[in-house]
Amino acid sequence: MSKDNLPPLDPQKGSWDEEAISRRRFLEIGFWVATGAAGLVVGGAGTRFLVGDSLKPKPEQWVKVGEVADLLAGQVHKAIYTVRTYDAWREAEETGLIYCFSDDSAEYTVLDATCSHLGCNVHWQEETSKFACPCHNGAFTREGEVISGPPPAPLRRLQTKIENGVLLALV
Amino acid sequence: MSLALEESDKQPRRKSRWGISGPLNAVGLWIDARTGFIGPIRSFLTYPVPKYVHQNLLYSLGGLSLISFLLQITSGMLLSFYYDPSPAEAYNSVDYVTYQVPLGWLMRGLHYYNASAIVILVALHLLRTFSFSAYKKPREITWLSGVLLLLVSLGFAFTGYLLPWDQKGYWATKVGIEIASSAPLVGEWVGRLMRGGPALGQATLTRFYVTHMLLLPAALVMLIGLHLHQLRYHGMAPSITKRGQALSDKFVPFFPHWVVVDATLGVIVLGLLIYLSWSQRAPLEFPADPTSTDFLPRPEWYFLFLFQLLKYFPGPLEPIATVLIPGLIIGSMLLLPFVDRSEERRPWRKPITTGVAVFYLVLIITLTLLALKAG
Repeated sequence: MSKDNLPPLDPQKGSWDEEAISRRRFLEIGFWVATGAAGLVVGGAGTRFLVGDSLKPKPEQWVKVGEVADLLAGQVHKAIYTVRTYDAWREAEETGLIYCFSDDSAEYTVLDATCSHLGCNVHWQEETSKFACPCHNGAFTREGEVISGPPPAPLRRLQTKIENGVLLALV
Repeated sequence: MSLALEESDKQPRRKSRWGISGPLNAVGLWIDARTGFIGPIRSFLTYPVPKYVHQNLLYSLGGLSLISFLLQITSGMLLSFYYDPSPAEAYNSVDYVTYQVPLGWLMRGLHYYNASAIVILVALHLLRTFSFSAYKKPREITWLSGVLLLLVSLGFAFTGYLLPWDQKGYWATKVGIEIASSAPLVGEWVGRLMRGGPALGQATLTRFYVTHMLLLPAALVMLIGLHLHQLRYHGMAPSITKRGQALSDKFVPFFPHWVVVDATLGVIVLGLLIYLSWSQRAPLEFPADPTSTDFLPRPEWYFLFLFQLLKYFPGPLEPIATVLIPGLIIGSMLLLPFVDRSEERRPWRKPITTGVAVFYLVLIITLTLLALKAG
């Protein structure tokens, strides 16, 4: 950049230093390189810092659904589980809602109550034999398949196992 | 400038150029000599406002929005002295503010009701600006900063909703984040970043609190600064009526003539907000319960149209309601001054832009009413 781009100085005040100005272009490039590098370092580190553990998969845990003896065949059972977990830096109790049913007390279906549409909890309607979501009127069968409404996918089916007469589900 | 001030310093008895005499004048001169602030402040206050603007209360909607923002910042700062941003204690701290802190009901009520007032005032201000075609060249940046201010206001509303950690805030936020997550390709990633993890919890609350308390206020201050600078730089847009045009060569000073109108209207709004806070306490539902199935999540009234829209787009069509339609509305608002570049400023002579705006308005109002009707 030439001296012509600089505003004129009051002669009483002084004059531009011609020698220093001859290095102006070099200094300008140096400025942009330095600030660009600093910006990349701070911006990159800051972005990684902000993302933190957000994208880490949720650690899976086995939770108790109920005593097999209490889970009568042909009925939908509601279970609230509580597990000790770390919520970011805080040790906390995480609670959740699941539904369970079995036709023969041998094979169990356990469903996460979270609606696949926008995350509200569905509730079991005995009179209509379906799961209903209060948010946008989504409806699911006892197996969690979509009957009507906006849900794009079935309810999430959880892996199960039986240990010492207790039905467990992986959440 | 400094020489002139030194001259006037020698005559302290004389009434100063800003109408103050005696010791105050001396203080003013001293400050001006050190900072140079008095001149720009004086120039700001004596800005000539066209009479057609001064005589039309619709032009006060911008000033009223600014007053509401200032009230919101003040009440928010005060509330933060008592707020505890953790899932275990947030609810208790808000409950404490509402029912035990002296005048806590007032501070929380003002913050709660003023949030709605801001959305109404900013939206009406935008509508006024649109109707008077004040977005046209050379005021595109004023319009864009105004649209961004509306979005920032909605951002404040969305992030503030979760903070009490009650049922309403918890479920509305859960649904809100799921809406963001439904965006194609990056949705899941955006949702995770908003939550700070796989589920709504401590990280989410902290993220929302910081966004509400630091990021959005910083954006707000910068946008308001830009908006006001542009307003002063370009002046008011020409009137669209013959009556207004006849008055466009008469001016009144910004202070006190115009300011007193905005201030009076501001006091009326404040009175209304105090009355609302007193007559109907700001609501606080039961504490957030992730296992409840009987709570019917409903967003605040200004997001109800979006909530209702989701009912009509099932399954894979969901992104139409969550991303496409809101994106279309916001996108067309942002692009408006670059699309409508004609000289015509009268809305009745611009059937396409007016028609699209009326369609948006009817759509939003109808969907809101349908959502309210559905309970």
